[in-house]
Order: sequence, then structure tokens, then C-alpha cells
Amino acid sequence: MAKFITIGERLSTTAPAVNKAFLARDPEPILARAKQQLEAGATYLDVNIGPAEGYGEDLMKWAVQLLQSNFDNVPLALDTSNKAAIEAGISVYNRAKGKPIVNSADAAGRIENIDLAAANDAIVIALCNGEGIAADNDERMGYCQMLLERGMEHGMDVNEDMWFDPLFLVIKGMQDKQMDVLNFIGDLTDMGLKTTGGLSNNSNGMPKHIRPIMDSAMVAMAMMKGMTSAIVNPNDLRLMETIKSCDIIRNETLYADSYLEI
Amino acid sequence: MALTGIQIFKLTPKKNCKECGSPTCMAFAMKVAQGAVGIDKCPYMSEDAIAQLSEASAPPMKTIEIGKKPFADNKNDTDASFKLGGETVLFRHEKTFVNKTRYASTVSTAMDAAKVDQILTDMAKIDYERIGDRMYVEFIAVDHTDGASADAYAELAKKAAAANRALILNVKDEAAAAAALEAVKDTKPVLNGADASNYEAMNKLATGADVVLGVTGSNVDEIYDTIAAIEKLGNKKLIVDLGSVSVKDAFANAVLLRRACLDKNPDRTAGYPTIANVAKLAPGDAHMQTALATLFTMKYGSIVIVEEMTYAQALPLYGLRQNLFTDPQKAPRIEPGIYPINGAEENSICLTTVDFALTYFLVSGELERSGVPCNLLISDAGGLSVLTSWAAGKFSAGSIAKYIQEFDIENKIKNRTLVLPGKVAVLKGDLEAKLPDWNIVVGPTEAVQLVKFLKDMQANGQA
Amino acid sequence: MPLNKKLQKFSATVRSVELGTGDKTTTLGGSNTYPFYTFDNPTTNTAKIGIEISDLGLAEEPDCMKEFYAGCETVVDMAKKAVTVEGADFLVLKLIGGDPNGENKSIEELVETAKSVADAVDFPLVVEGCKNVEKDSQLLPKVAEALQGKNVLLMSAKEENYKNIGAAAGLAYDQLLGAESAVDINLAKQLNVLIKQLGVDVGKVVMNVGSAAAGYGFDYCISTLDRVKGAALGQSDDSLLMPIITPVADETWSVKEASASEEDVPEWGSVVERAIDMEITTAVACLSCGSDAVILKHPTSIAAVASMIKALV
Repeated sequence: MAKFITIGERLSTTAPAVNKAFLARDPEPILARAKQQLEAGATYLDVNIGPAEGYGEDLMKWAVQLLQSNFDNVPLALDTSNKAAIEAGISVYNRAKGKPIVNSADAAGRIENIDLAAANDAIVIALCNGEGIAADNDERMGYCQMLLERGMEHGMDVNEDMWFDPLFLVIKGMQDKQMDVLNFIGDLTDMGLKTTGGLSNNSNGMPKHIRPIMDSAMVAMAMMKGMTSAIVNPNDLRLMETIKSCDIIRNETLYADSYLEI
Repeated sequence: MALTGIQIFKLTPKKNCKECGSPTCMAFAMKVAQGAVGIDKCPYMSEDAIAQLSEASAPPMKTIEIGKKPFADNKNDTDASFKLGGETVLFRHEKTFVNKTRYASTVSTAMDAAKVDQILTDMAKIDYERIGDRMYVEFIAVDHTDGASADAYAELAKKAAAANRALILNVKDEAAAAAALEAVKDTKPVLNGADASNYEAMNKLATGADVVLGVTGSNVDEIYDTIAAIEKLGNKKLIVDLGSVSVKDAFANAVLLRRACLDKNPDRTAGYPTIANVAKLAPGDAHMQTALATLFTMKYGSIVIVEEMTYAQALPLYGLRQNLFTDPQKAPRIEPGIYPINGAEENSICLTTVDFALTYFLVSGELERSGVPCNLLISDAGGLSVLTSWAAGKFSAGSIAKYIQEFDIENKIKNRTLVLPGKVAVLKGDLEAKLPDWNIVVGPTEAVQLVKFLKDMQANGQA
Repeated sequence: MPLNKKLQKFSATVRSVELGTGDKTTTLGGSNTYPFYTFDNPTTNTAKIGIEISDLGLAEEPDCMKEFYAGCETVVDMAKKAVTVEGADFLVLKLIGGDPNGENKSIEELVETAKSVADAVDFPLVVEGCKNVEKDSQLLPKVAEALQGKNVLLMSAKEENYKNIGAAAGLAYDQLLGAESAVDINLAKQLNVLIKQLGVDVGKVVMNVGSAAAGYGFDYCISTLDRVKGAALGQSDDSLLMPIITPVADETWSVKEASASEEDVPEWGSVVERAIDMEITTAVACLSCGSDAVILKHPTSIAAVASMIKALV
């Protein structure tokens, strides 16, 4: 295995300030948020521009170049349903610090994003989900197989470049499904596959002071199951400290008394 | 070569019956590729598929047996051989290395009889015990040099075999190899002489005599290809001679082969033990041979051949080997007992410490440096350091007193001064109560302070 | 079909630390492979060897060293001779005489010795303290001050005294700093973090992660070196990317294999040969698992180790 990879989620059109900056091509708010996330220890940054129909290609190119030129070619996850925008982003992407991630493919309408990632030597987040929410782990595994076969057909190194997303479910509403998700991560790990996912989904709708606690517990249990990465808010200190501690326990980083400070 | 998940998937029935415990055949195949489950969990695999897979699940590096150990090496089994190879990791902290490096001195047809005798005699002198292991030169390399007759080579091999060591027959000449094998094949030597040009003939000789065949080549690819060709002839009793093109090449060969066979997709054709012939890499330069013998002990030589092993070389090399091949999870321990230092006798002062080997070596080293004769008393303290064993209750006034009684110290030693490690000064009172005849002295807290401490005691007439 | 070589590329590189000034410098570290794995990536910088002398001169030295330095009256004479030894890349001056349990020389006297040696030889220099934690924390800052501009390596800052020594060597007087831990990888890392937090430039730090003589608990050294190198390169652990220097002679010359007299153990043969081979084996073992530099005593050992290094790169 390797050190847990965090993908910072805070550059998203769902945040009004970010959306506004994207539309206005205003660098300052974007750079400020990127800086906060990187200083907090994010490995990758997710760039979620939304569907961005009509202007996605231009916007993604702008965002990729802006971030990579300001932050030493920081590796990025290109997050949009707009395929042309992803390809445009990759066309200007510098791989010095890591391959681009295509976020994301699923087992339904977005399966072609695997082809896109394979054609561009990119990593793809493969969401083990079709239409609606999978009923059980058998269904999830079925999707996983479909995604795997697609990747193999297109010559991907499925153990390295396909990061499988079990789809974290909200606890308030689907509390009884949580262990399924975690066990599914274990199954993927046993198959030698890498895993990632939008961690904070689990704590959606919880009071603000609870969410870091629940997210931390979830990441610890997921890391126990072999999870290799997650899409997170890196400015959640408790969460990042938990991840660092789990990496120590998993023997991925060498312990030193000051491990939280570095 | 291990199979990938997709290759295994193609062998499965693809019916997703779940009888194996996995939800789909794909999931099952991926798990088999990871080694997480066995192929036998699937009731519908064809025999052909199982055969392919079992080939892929054999140990990545073969264990090869050579020679017959001399009697004293193994008291219970006079015919036991030396096992080489069978390693599973690249670094000792991952898992204990399995089969330790063995060493050889060299005799050659280019030497006169007197020189051969001298080498064999000197070699036999190196034979001692260190922390429970017998340390000696286990192998003799018998070199055939250009122009030497088959008879002369066979005679030399016989003479070497009489020295009661396992043999490595370094010979490329077919007739000489055949003659030597005829003479000494019962000792199960290595026939080290196959390369790309002669492997068919050498393989015939080796299999005919049922001995291990040594394979070499001018570079790692040639070595690898020759092994593959010999494997095709059905022989997998092989050892790789890392070659003597250059130090750099031989080292690269050692690492690249070991790495290839222990890769997560193991290449078993690379998985054989190795011979590092440092005599040929640095002829006539004993110190360079020491350096290279060390290098190949550390990095992946199964047998290291020097020209003439000396005590000066053996002492550090064998100590290093003993350290390298210990279990990384288990602290090395020293047998409890009385260890007289600097010619100590029954009237010399006593010191005690724990049986953790690292502590023992530190303390005994400093005691030796002091020059003061003293008896180091080692009791069973669970193989832990002083403070840890004290905290665990394994190094206490009770345990020390019990040891003094069990080892009959009071009859063996007349001196009644006992120095305690400074870190367990708290034991003094208890110990005085349990050993009323003894003068209990608290020593320094660090081993390095022992020299001054003992010299001071000596100056004061206390030691 | 040729062997499918599984070459190993790391994204991290051990930092290069330059010792000395002017034309006479030597570089420690700088590799991005396991030691001597030139097939993975050609080595740009080779392992280095230091030759050690002490302020005590020849008084405590074994006969073979007295012979080698015959004619040398002072420590400065010895230093001048030491730097001519083939294969030696830097000089190590040990200020053993400062030990309060030994000669207990004054700091002024020791600094004077260090200064006279540094002035007499134009050669990269390492100055080791007396190993007494309190004394070294007084002594090494003074040495750092006196040798300003010489870019010397001061050994060593330990957990107990890194603040004093680190502040002087690394901050005030711009020297190189040795960080010493005793075969404990977590402490090795922690000490580097603490030194960095002190404000010292990590590019000027060299680690001594502990040593032992071959056969004397050397398994711990092997695993410490293997694991530090593995974490530094494999995990790109910035807190461990310092070059490693290992004082070998300190450990090897006192063990009985290297010091027992020929009268006491006649079967062992020449004591000089035993001391040399013990030094060679221990040095090569350290270098093969991760030391970027070793400190040795005897010219013959230095020559052998140097020629092995040369043959491997």
C-alpha cells in the first residue's frame, strides 16, 4: 500500500463563492482556497466546475493552468460531467506531480469516462453504482465487474489507475447500510484494487460540530478496510489528524513524536 | 510468472454461482491473483486451469540442497545437506532471512600440492563456536585451470573432498568435470560450469551425477536465458554463479535476480541461490575480498568464495552473518551463566546484567576495555534491556538471588562483591536482604562509564 | 527472452550536503536509489570515507596506528598525514579529551586544537565532541564559532542537547549539523523534525543513526539503515532525507576480535589484520544498507573500502 491520498473538495461550484469566481475567472478566491487546502495537507485538489455547458473547456483549461502554475504543478482531479471539458483540462495538464484524475465514471451513463481516462493515461474514479442506489454488495460488485472489464478492454492498469468508489451513504437515513459500504471497501481491497470516495456524504445533514467526529470515525474504519484515498475537506483538522494517525498505524509513515506537525 | 486477475478470470467458469464465497467470478479471480483465496475454492475449475495456477503459486525462490554437512555441524543427522536460497523478502526487517550465506576457500589445479595442503590445513583451523553457532568454512571451491588434465583435476577434487567440506567444482572443461564428478559425486558437490555455450553437455553431466548445476553468463540476460534453457531440459536443481565480469555486474546480477523472483509477480526462473566468487573478482587482494565478501553477504550471495579464508576475515564476516540472519522480531539473547572477562577467576569481582545480547555485548566490551579481571553474571531476564526487564519483573532481587543459587555461584566464586547496573539501583536493599553475605555495589547507569568505574575500584583495592 | 528487470525509481532524492570550502569540498548524500543500485539509476555521487584522529594524539592508539603516524609529534602533524591517505574524502577530529570522566580538557584547549587542525589542513573537516552530553553542548558551539567559514560538520546533536548545538552550528555560525540517535528510527526522524523546527536549514543536517561492530548487535544497525533509507526514498519522507554518516572505527577497534593480543589468542593470527578486516566488514555492511559516509581509522581499510566503492559505481 502507500500513504493515504486526500483529494481536497473545496474547489466546487456548489460553493457560491467558488462558482462566482469560476464564472468571472477571478483567480484570487480560487487560489486562496487552494492554498488553504494544500497547507492543510491535501495531496490532490478536486476541481468541480459543474456541467459548465458551452464554456467548460475554456474554464477547465483556465483552472488547471491557474492552479498548476501557482502551486508547483499540484495534481488535480477534474470533476465535471462535461467530457470535452475534462479532455481540454488534460490537454494543458502537467504530470510532474501525478497523473490527472477523471472524476468520475459510473456503471450507467458515465461509463465512457473510463475510455476517456484510458485514452489519456489518466486515473479514473469508478463509482460502483448504476441508476439509483445499489441494494446490496452483490449489486455493487456487479457494477465493479462491469467497470473493471471496461478498463481492461481499454488496456488500463486496473490495479493502479482505477480508483473504485463504493459510494458513501448518508447515515441519517441509511444507517443500516454503513457496514455494507465498509465491507465492500474490504472486498475491493482483497481484489488488490484502490479505493476512494466522497467521505463526508456519510455525515450529511448532521449538526456542524458532529460532522468532523463522524467523518473521522468513518475514515478510520474505511482505512482499516484498506481504503487508499478519499475526497475530503482537508481543512477539517480532526479528520486530517485521524488520517495521519491511521497512516502511522498502517505503517505507511514512520512515527515521530511530532508526526502531526509535519 | 504469476497470473493476473484477468488471466485467472479467463480460466473461471464465469457463471457467478457464488459457491466460492465471492459474489462474482471476477471478484474471485482478483482475490486469487492477490493470494487472498486459493483456487480450490472454485468447484468448477478445469484441471488444466488448476495446473497452470499451481505452477504460479510455487515458492518464488527455490531452496537448493548441496553437499553433506560434516558430522559436527549437525549432531542428529550426519547426512544433512546445506540448504541455500528459499528467501521470501529483500530486507531482514520484513521477515527473517531463511538460509544463511556459506563461505568457501579455493584450491586450484594451478597450485602445487604444498600450497593446496596449506590452504586446506589453514581452512580447517577456522572452527569455533559463537553464540551457539558453529563457525567454519563450509565449502571448498575446486578450480580447474586451462590446460590441467582431467586426472589432475579429479585428484584435486578428491583431496578437497577428504577435507570433509562441501565442494564447488569450478570447471568448464567437460572431460575434467566428468572425471571429478566420477571421483566425488557422492559428496553432492555443485558442478559450477554451465554457460550459454556448453549448458547441454554440463546439464547432462549434472543430472547424470544427480548434483546441482551452477550457471553463469556474461550478463544477467545471458544468465537468465541459460537458466530458462536448462529449465526447459527439465532441470531445476540450479545455482547462479554471479560471474566475474566486474564487481558492478556481479552485484547488479545479485540484486536484479533476487528482486525479479521476489516481485509481486514472481519470476521463478530468476529464483535460484547464488555463488559470489570474490576470489575471481579481486584476485590477490585479500582486503578487497573482505569488502566484497561482506557486500555479497549483505546483498544476496548464498555462497561466497574467497581465495583463502583467514581468521581475520572470518571473525567479522561470521559475526555479521549471525546478526543478519537472526529473527528481526526476537531480541537476541545470551545464555545465562558466568562469563569471566580479562582472565577473571574465583577471586575476581562480580558484575551482573541482563541476557539481552545487545546489553551483554555493550557491557562485556567495556569490561574488556577496562582490563580489570571480573566475572559477568548473566541471569535469565527474558532477553530484555535492563529497565524493561526490571519493569517486567524479570530482573529483580528475587531473580538474581535465585540465579546465584541455581548456578551455584557461591561455590564457584569466592569474591563476594556484586555490581548492579545503575539503572536498577533500587534493587540494592532487597538484594542485600536476600544475599546477606554479599557486598552489593551500585554501578554506573551507562556501560561507557564502566571503564572508569572499575579502574577506580581497582585503585581503591575493591577489585 | 531477457530478464524482465524490475527497476526501482524513487521520486525522492537524499539531500546533497557539501562539506568544506573552496576547492577542497566533498559531497555527502545525493543518491536516489538504494546503495550502489546503479542499475536503477546511475549514481551522481558516491559514498564517502572519513579518516579519524583524536586530540589525544597517539597515546591511546593501537601499535599499528602509532607506526603509521610515526614521526608525528602533534595532532596537527597527524592531521597533515591523515589527509594524504588515499581514499579519504574528509578528516574527522575527535575531541575525546574533553570527557569529564577522562582527561577533562578545558573547552579553550580543545577549541585551540580544533582551530590549529582546521588551519593546518585544507581538507573537509568533521569535528566530533567527547560524547558527554553536557560537555558537548558547551564545547561544540565554541568549536562552531571558532571555525566559522570553514563549513565543518559538528557531531553530534542528540535529543538532550540539540538546542544548544543546533542553534550554534546551524543558526549562528552556519556550519553543518550532525543529528545523532541510537538505532531508533522514530527518534531519528523526531530529532530531524525538532532541528527543523529550531529553524536550522535541513539541507545542512547529516544523520548518525547509530552503529555497532559486525557481530555485536549489528542486526539493529542493518534494519535501522534499511528502514530509514526505505522510508526516505519509498515514502518520500522529507524528515529522513538527510545523508547518513556512520562512525565505524569508534565501534570496531575496541571489540575483542580487533584488539585481543596475539599472545592471548595465537590461533587468530595478526591483530592488525583482524582490526583492519573488522573495520572493512563493518564499513561495507553499513554502506550497503544506507550509510552515505563512514568514518574509519586505518589507511589499509580506507583503501579497500574506497576501491570497492569505486568498483561499484
